[in-house]
Amino acid sequence: MNKVDRDRSHKAGPGRAVVVIAAVLAAMLAGPAAAEDAKTIAATVCVACHAGDGNSVIPMFPKIAGLQEEYIVKQLKDFMSGRRKSDIMAPVVAALKAEDVAPLATYFSSQKMKAGEAEDKKAVALGKLIFHDGNEETGVPACVGCHQPEGVGHVIYPRIGGQHATYVAQQLKNFAAGERNNDVSRYMRVTAKRLSEEEINAVAQYIAGLGAK
Amino acid sequence: MNKFLTTMMVVLSLPLAAVAQTPAWNELKGELKAALESKGDPVRGEKAFDSCVGCHRKDASGRTSGAYPRLSGQHATVLIKQIADIRAGRRSNPKMEPYLDDHALTAFEIADLAIYVQGLPISSENGKGPGTGVAAGRQIYDRDCASCHGGKGEGNAEKFYPMVAAQHYNYLLRELKFIRDGDRRNANPDMVKAIKPFSTADLEALADYMAQLAPPKK
Repeated sequence: MNKVDRDRSHKAGPGRAVVVIAAVLAAMLAGPAAAEDAKTIAATVCVACHAGDGNSVIPMFPKIAGLQEEYIVKQLKDFMSGRRKSDIMAPVVAALKAEDVAPLATYFSSQKMKAGEAEDKKAVALGKLIFHDGNEETGVPACVGCHQPEGVGHVIYPRIGGQHATYVAQQLKNFAAGERNNDVSRYMRVTAKRLSEEEINAVAQYIAGLGAK
Repeated sequence: MNKFLTTMMVVLSLPLAAVAQTPAWNELKGELKAALESKGDPVRGEKAFDSCVGCHRKDASGRTSGAYPRLSGQHATVLIKQIADIRAGRRSNPKMEPYLDDHALTAFEIADLAIYVQGLPISSENGKGPGTGVAAGRQIYDRDCASCHGGKGEGNAEKFYPMVAAQHYNYLLRELKFIRDGDRRNANPDMVKAIKPFSTADLEALADYMAQLAPPKK
């Protein structure tokens, strides 16, 4: 819209009413259509790695079902801008339209993340300790502080309860190395750096077993 | 004569210059001043406190081990000053500093946090000392500490003196040693002077006494 058009559209008159009605209609239509598009994208694109309902069965690919809506929006936008780097996600988001982001986030956040199971039972005790108490010696905060009991997450802090241990451990290592750096206020980079490899694996095992069975 | 006068002026102005170079421990400027002047909002503060819970616990009771202090009920002025001092590098706190080193955190949010935490009830389930130093600790406390930190350990909000009653024993002991040995850095110089002659046994007795003091009524 150039300046003249913009000035005109702000003037009262029949022209403006048409614009308003058209906008309202467009908004009414966009809702369901966008939701349908999101389902289609989920069923044709995301499904390959994350499964159609977002409950990935491949340990290196995260479950995205039931993640916080804000969190999914942020991650998709960060993948698009390159703030979060992934050779796998980069070409996928390159094919997405900006307007696909919100409906995709709504769709996947409304799915339910299925609980997983810890495979390394011996590691669970240490993982539980880290999750609920952190490590006072090294200044690791308890995960439960931000990610909440059962790891259900909270607004900007993603649900982690039930997530694949392989994925959680990999992300913690990426944060520690600074390879992933799109965390809020550097909290995860600072925290992951303070975790030992044993603690990372243990807490990832414990987290995998959380969530509704 | 002229030379004498000039020399005298230089000599006399030296202490003044030294004073000017070292800001007072409680100088009100920058973020500290802005946060103290801001009327904090406890509802916003509760939200902002989310990112503190991993260490200080949801009820701000800290850890009975003393690794992290109890914050609940502490004077908002004290909380604001300590946060601002850690952020500005005036208080050394390597464990906490990276979590506070957040460019997005504003003076207003610090005030929100402080007013929220000040209003939280104080648990008396804090980490206690061995109990063997309470009597000796009381003597030292009443003689050297009570005039600033209050007869019941209630502190003084206006003067930034923290409430010390019902704080975790190991936290009290650690910070007392830090202050005595110059590792805390942002303490009131009067405090540093008062604590200098104390032996570690004295500090253990003091911490023992203060930890078992009942939470002050508000």
